[in-house]
Amino acid sequence: MTALAQDFQTRVDKALADGQLKVAIERTTGNARRKRAAAVSAWPEFDAARKAAAAIKDHAITHMAYYLEMFERNAIASGTQVHWARNSDEACAIVVGICKAAGAKTVTRSKSMLGEEIGLPHALAAAGLRRVETDLAEHIIQLADETPSHIIWPAAHHTKEDVALLFAEHHRDKTPTTDIESMVESARRELRDDFFAAEVGISGANYLVAETGAICTITNEGNAELTTTPPRVHIVTAGIEKIVATTEHALQLTRVLVRSATGADLTQYTTFHSGPKRAGDRDGPEQFHIVLVDHGRTKMLVDMPEMLRCLRCGACLNHCVVYRAIGGHAYGAAYPGPMGSVLTPVFDGLKESRDLPHACTLNGQCRQVCPVDIPLPTLLRSWREKSWRKGLEPATTRFALGLWAFAAAHPVLYRLGVAFALPVIRLFARGGWISKMPLAGGWTDARDLPKPPTKSFMAQYFDGKVR
Amino acid sequence: MSARDAIFAAIRAARPEADAPATIATQAEACAAAMTKTLPLLENSDLVALFTLRASAEKVGATVERLASLGELPEAVARYASENNLAPELALQPDPALQQLDWSGLQADATLAPDTPLAVGLALCGVAETGSLVFHSAPTAPTLFGFLPLHHIVALDAKSLSPRFEDYAASDIGKLSPRNVNFITGASGTTDIEGVLARGAHGPRKLHIVIYG
Repeated sequence: MTALAQDFQTRVDKALADGQLKVAIERTTGNARRKRAAAVSAWPEFDAARKAAAAIKDHAITHMAYYLEMFERNAIASGTQVHWARNSDEACAIVVGICKAAGAKTVTRSKSMLGEEIGLPHALAAAGLRRVETDLAEHIIQLADETPSHIIWPAAHHTKEDVALLFAEHHRDKTPTTDIESMVESARRELRDDFFAAEVGISGANYLVAETGAICTITNEGNAELTTTPPRVHIVTAGIEKIVATTEHALQLTRVLVRSATGADLTQYTTFHSGPKRAGDRDGPEQFHIVLVDHGRTKMLVDMPEMLRCLRCGACLNHCVVYRAIGGHAYGAAYPGPMGSVLTPVFDGLKESRDLPHACTLNGQCRQVCPVDIPLPTLLRSWREKSWRKGLEPATTRFALGLWAFAAAHPVLYRLGVAFALPVIRLFARGGWISKMPLAGGWTDARDLPKPPTKSFMAQYFDGKVR
Repeated sequence: MSARDAIFAAIRAARPEADAPATIATQAEACAAAMTKTLPLLENSDLVALFTLRASAEKVGATVERLASLGELPEAVARYASENNLAPELALQPDPALQQLDWSGLQADATLAPDTPLAVGLALCGVAETGSLVFHSAPTAPTLFGFLPLHHIVALDAKSLSPRFEDYAASDIGKLSPRNVNFITGASGTTDIEGVLARGAHGPRKLHIVIYG
């Protein structure tokens, strides 16, 4: 299980007090929002494309058993070894088992959010394997001994100044610089040898293509191919919801995925991997393993199938007012932001993570930018309702809401209450605004409340003042 | 029950299989067709012009050169090396079409290794809508040629260009499934520090495309 959401409030307070964090997040997500907007504006029917992309994913999800069997059959025919895992423990045990059987000491990894979800970094460490993260952002957070704070930019919480300090401390090249190109160059030199020393390379998958049995990785740096090609063994960990029917569907989804993630038309490297190296090939792994992981997906098939469409593009994070204020770590889970707040209760349990679906203004931005039109606000609300029904909401909230519900169901009583409250509230106003009031700190700490009129709307209506 | 059986049982309980394979295939085609309908028109029907426009766009960042025939490639490579202050030495992708060219004046027998200054390759085909080169791994096309050099020069046959991904997927080449199918679109890059694009992350810093024929 990922860090529990129980200390959510503490982490939020800490994040809000960190001005540097806000700068870092705004630089990354601001760039992402601008680039996405530019890419989408060049595709007039992008909204229809989002719906078409949703239909492509829904098609694969509707026929999931059929397509997973087809995938497995074709993968095995190409020489792939296919493994199945019900949960994270099984998945990690399979991966560690393959590494041990390969006599591995060093394992390179290209970024995979499923790996984070199932706790693979810990499992590899516990097995005594040296893990080398090869994606630049993952490399940064490995040096900082942190978890990702964004699903596309795991180091979004670091400014270039932070990264410069980390590299000066850990890299062989100690030349101080905040020039981004020079820092990228330093990481390149640092990781070069490990790509060729590793016995095993581990990647995730953006798609599992049923008609060919291939998996697809979508990256920018080139680290994925350097992770999956030189080592003797390539292991893929992927959620079963990554299944798509055809290569064509995979490429069509990639169009909306990449535009939504980085604003490019296509990433630099979109690669399909099928089986181990073929006879006569000069490079490529001798063994190719795919570990297919359920970890809550079959449950989501019943409870929230729309969420299985998620392509992990990160657009909902970049456009979320809450994510932008608190960053990814405050969520305390593998996946932050709107999509994370929907997923975490599935993986970690609602009791442990009930705060997350509440950390949302329901402004609907996340759904508008979602390339597969996932109704994120509706799903977040459904968790809130479930939490209420299961009695997980705190007693004070239940009492206050119960009181309000009672009053709202009795209009005369409600109006009487408002008539008494208004003059009292007005006492706290200074110059037309209320900046401090007992029991309203949650609101007034961050913004002022306008001074209310002497009479409520309904009272004025009955007086004939409004119509 | 094995993990595999348990997962399939759970999926089938949630989504009982009702449709025949032929029906599912028809649905899949309809999904693809619906997506194709939303696509913006390509601004140029000349595929070489469109490919060049997309590949050399700032966000892709490749450079593109046009030659009449593949035979002129060695000369173009020599010119590129001299313009970029590189030694006239290169690793050549082991493709017979490249190997039979006249490389005299250049040392075309360098071994591919990490950070080889210059490598020259041949793309299997290209996709114009994104300015992407497509490689299929093979004895004549090792995957690492696209990832180890600092400068990668790639020859691309103009006749091999498809307008869109859908055309590639429908082609005979698109039906093949070698160990790797690589779509390469511009030089290696990363936006991992503050979302700012920096080139030469782990792969080549420069990608130069030579369209011939």
